[in-house]
Parts: sequence; structure tokens; C-alpha cells
Amino acid sequence: MERLNSWIARLVFVFLYLPIAALIVYSFNSSEVSYRFDGFTFRWYAELFRDQMLLESLRTSALVGVIAAVLATVIGFLSAFALVRLRVKGRAFFVGAILIPLIVPEIVLGVSLLTVFSSAGLPTGIVTLVLGHVVITLPLATLVLMGAMSSLDPSLSEAATDLGASPWVTFRRVLFPLLRPSILAAFLLSFTTSFSNIVISTFTAGVGTTTLPLRIYSTLRTGLTPELNALGTLLVVATLGVILLVGVAQMRRILAGPRP
Amino acid sequence: MNETTEPPAVKLTGLTKSFGANRVVQPLDLEIRQGEFFSILGPSGCGKTTLMRMITGFETPTGGSVELDGKNVDAVSTKSRDLNMLFQSYALFPHLSVYENVAFELRVRRTAKREIDTRVREALELVRLGAFAERKPAELSGGQRQRVALARAVVGRPAVVLLDEPLGALDQKLRKEMQFELKRMQREVGITFIYVTHDQEEALTMSDRIAVMSEGRVLQVASPTEIYDEPASRFVATFIGSCNILDGVVDAEGRGVVVPGVGAVPALVPATAVPGSGVALAIRPERVSMRALGAAAPADGVRATLVERAFLGDEWTFHVRLETGAVMTVSVPSGEIAAELGAIADGADVLLSWSAAAARVLPAEAAVTAASPASATSALKGAAA
Repeated sequence: MERLNSWIARLVFVFLYLPIAALIVYSFNSSEVSYRFDGFTFRWYAELFRDQMLLESLRTSALVGVIAAVLATVIGFLSAFALVRLRVKGRAFFVGAILIPLIVPEIVLGVSLLTVFSSAGLPTGIVTLVLGHVVITLPLATLVLMGAMSSLDPSLSEAATDLGASPWVTFRRVLFPLLRPSILAAFLLSFTTSFSNIVISTFTAGVGTTTLPLRIYSTLRTGLTPELNALGTLLVVATLGVILLVGVAQMRRILAGPRP
Repeated sequence: MNETTEPPAVKLTGLTKSFGANRVVQPLDLEIRQGEFFSILGPSGCGKTTLMRMITGFETPTGGSVELDGKNVDAVSTKSRDLNMLFQSYALFPHLSVYENVAFELRVRRTAKREIDTRVREALELVRLGAFAERKPAELSGGQRQRVALARAVVGRPAVVLLDEPLGALDQKLRKEMQFELKRMQREVGITFIYVTHDQEEALTMSDRIAVMSEGRVLQVASPTEIYDEPASRFVATFIGSCNILDGVVDAEGRGVVVPGVGAVPALVPATAVPGSGVALAIRPERVSMRALGAAAPADGVRATLVERAFLGDEWTFHVRLETGAVMTVSVPSGEIAAELGAIADGADVLLSWSAAAARVLPAEAAVTAASPASATSALKGAAA
């Protein structure tokens, strides 16, 4: 029984990581077709950096992702603060209202966003992309921050006030340092959600602001090029880099904890 | 400064608080003197925490006013009131060291760096935690955290420190030690302490004066000995220590009390008592003496039956049932217990007696008879406390 379990666990890991491993291996494949491995090459990486369209999409996605994530984190922080700390009238209603985009099908959101933008005369572009992405990332950021905030002892901010701190000083010296890991988590979650989104982007992207997922999706028609494997590999490396950076910082804090 | 012209540290006038239709604090007046260790004592839900939060400014009163050191502070926000609070949860900032926790107020108020260092070290010495300055709160024991919180509350030399059940989270032994420690520190810094608690023992041990609260009202403000020996009401008598309550009637001459079903009992009746009016007699269990009812029963005593006994270490507690069915508690220090008392079997008849001075006459309040279950349970509750 135990052996069976451990084998299942191994298979799950293989299933999870095999595609990523294949992606990395084939990004160095000198063959044009993906079913044959002909030899090692950096050619696809070179081509990737010459593909202006793809790089432009990467830039668009990164820009939209950062702006949407910053907005979602800031608005999410304020909403979470109000909903957890202040005695807001109709609190349950507001919590529900903020979380509804999580359960509404994205295609519906996309259609309604496009309707609103076109009737408001707002041309599709970076602005509409950001607005659309905030709609889907805000609930995530709010949820993460609400959880973090409600686990914080409310007398901490009362104590700061009692000791003469203004609301801003209380935020800067007490709440922000304590909530920093959760704020970072909310930001990263919002960024990846925005970065990988296809459905909302389909409706809100304009000419010249095609996001990376949209560009990749459109290349499906002509067939995937090994160049995309190279791009995927670079994104995996970047993600691992962020995880390591955040993880190392966390680990250091944990290790530095008990000082003599 | 002249003693008589010194304004009270805290003066509350007609202070009241309602949450919706629920009036948590009834309009009350209270004066707390400079440098006093003042306790607000009451069961949970009596409004004592709300009262304290109105003094700090965390809650806005529905009516009335708060004066600190002779100045009205109704329009002054918490952060500018010259008082600090010690929270029940301590509320130490977990990301800051002990040193930075204590220094927080001075840093916020932009005190000079050198002065911050001197005063933080002083405060840490006061609570005997000088060696722990660099630790994080998570690395301290409950008692040590409590001391850090106290150091943080006094480092800015506020006029008043409010303590919200600060010993609640500590174990029994530590709590007893901390009671004396708190008293010592309060005397050392000379700051007015307002100590909120539901624990009557804590209040009696530390306070200069105690305000007993129940259902949003202050029932009595007096020194610990006065509160214990001369409770003003039935609630105070039963809430502080344990107390037997017998309902009776002032006799026709206005000099004695008759308990229905028992007869005339010793009591010190005040001159103002109206003959024939209903009263409650409060008698402390340790002031009742008990002996076996011999064959020749003397008339001067109240007959009862011994129901059960319990050994509490420092004393023996006996529960006895009067002929009316009411249960009384008698306690005897275990060192003094006579062989005769030990020989009385459960179920045996006994004779109770007390001096007139031991039986305090209180207003009857709710009209209940001596045999009612209410008085029996209150006597039992008192014994359990």
C-alpha cells in the first residue's frame, strides 16, 4: 500500500513537471519539428530576440501586468482594511460585490467590458486592458489581504494610536511591516493572473497592444515554432528567479528570528 | 502642589454609552485621584471595558464628559490624550525588538535620540528586563511580554495608565507574583493606574480604591477593606469574597432583625432602619462560628444541619442547611479547627452563631424570602468563588 502510494506520488510529479522539462529540452532542439531531437542549438533564442512582434507583446503583457497588479493590490488593501477593520454598513454586500467577478464566467465579463468601453467611447488599448485585468485581479488581491488582516490582532493598531501614532504612522510602522509578505503575495498573484489571461484580453486588447498569450494563441494557426519553447523556458527561469528571491528573503527572516 | 487644589487624575461626569438600544454604561460620575491605584471591578459584560475605552478615547461616549487632570478631553483624540493603555493581549509589535517596542512612543513623538536610549533603558530596568532588549516578543514568556507592555505604557510618563485585565493570560502562581510587582512598579513610577478586572482577589490585593460595577452602574467606590467589611449592597457583598445572605425584617423596636422561619438573629441595625421593613443580612462565612448541637441546646444560636464539608488547604468550608431550607457557608481556618468541629458528622445538627457586628444590614432590593432558592444559590456561589 505504502509502495503504491509512493509510486502514485512519483507519477504525479512526472505528470506535473514533464511538460516543463520537455519545453526546456526542445528549446535547445536544432530540428524545426518538435517530434525529432537533432542536436543542441541556441538558434531559437537568437530568433526570439529578433522577433519584434513577440517582444512587443511581451512588453505589453509585462506593462499591463505590473500596472494591473499595483492597482489591484492598492485597491485591495484599502477594501480589505475597510471590510475587516471598520464597521462598514452593508459589509456582507460589499464583500459579495467584490468577489462576484470570481464566479462570473470570464467570457461574460469580457463581453460586458467591451460593451461598456465602446459605449463610453474608450478606444481599446493599454488602458482598457488594465481596467479589464483589474476586474479579475482585484477579488484575488482583496481575498489574500482580508485573510491576512483579519489574522492581525486589532489591538496592535489601537496600541499604536494610544502611543501617539497618526493613522499614516501606524500604517508605515506597524501594519505595513506586518502585512508585507501578504502584500507581496497579493501583488504576485495579481501579476500572474493578468500576465496569463487570454479571455478578457481578447475583448479589451487593441491594435498594437496584443498581449503575449494572445500572440502565442494566434500562432497556433500557423503551427507552434520552437522559438516559443525558448520564450517559455525564459519565463520559467524568470518565475523560478522570483520564487527564489522571495523564498530566500523569507528563509533569511525565519533563520534570523531567534537572535541571542 | 496643595493637596486640596490638586485636580483629580480622571473625572467622569454623567458618562454614558449605548450601542443602539442597548445601554452598556449608565450615566455615572467617578473621580480618580492622582497617583492612585484604582480598580474597576465587575463581572464580564458589566460595562467596565467600555468605560475604560471611553477614558482612552477609543469609544465615543453617548453622553457626559471626561476630564483628565482638570481638563476636558471630549474633543481630544486618543493619540493626544496623556494616558496609555496596557492591552489584555499585550499588543506588542511582533516585528520589533523589545527595545523598539518600548521606544515606539518616544520615536513617534520625535524625542531626541540620546533621551530615547536613557528612558528606554530606565523603563526596561523598572520591569527588570534590561538583558532582554534585543529579543523579539515571540521569544519571551507570557510574564515577560506583560512586563514589556508595561514598560511601553510607562516610558512616555503619561499621567494615567489603564490596564485591561493584564494578568488574565498568566497562570495562577505568576499572577500572584505579578500582583505585587505591579503594585511595586506603580509606587515607583507614581503614575495613576486604572486597573480593570473581574478578579476580586486582584482588586483587593493591589488597589488603593475599588469601584464595583454591575450592569453598567458603579455600585460602590471604597477602599478594599471597606468594600469587604462594609459592602453597600447585596451584589457587592456576594461578588467580593463569599458571603451568606439572609433575608429578614427589622423588628418592631428597630433594634433587631427577624428572619422568617428562623427567628431573631444577631445584627447591627442602623438607626435609620424602619421597623417592619425588609432587609438583607450579609454575613461572611469566616465570621460564623459553628458547634455541635449538644443534648442541652442553648437558645442563643441558629439551628442547622451540616450538609457537607470541603478541605481547601488554608481553610475548611462547611455547608449547612437552615430549617428554612436556605444553605449557609461556614469557613474555619484549617490550623485552628477544633477536634470537636472535626468530629461532627455530615447530617448532624449544629448550632450557628455570630456577633451582631458580623451581620451587616443591607437594603432588601428584590423582595425574596429567606427560603427562596435565590438566596441559597447566592450563598453557594459565594462559597465557590
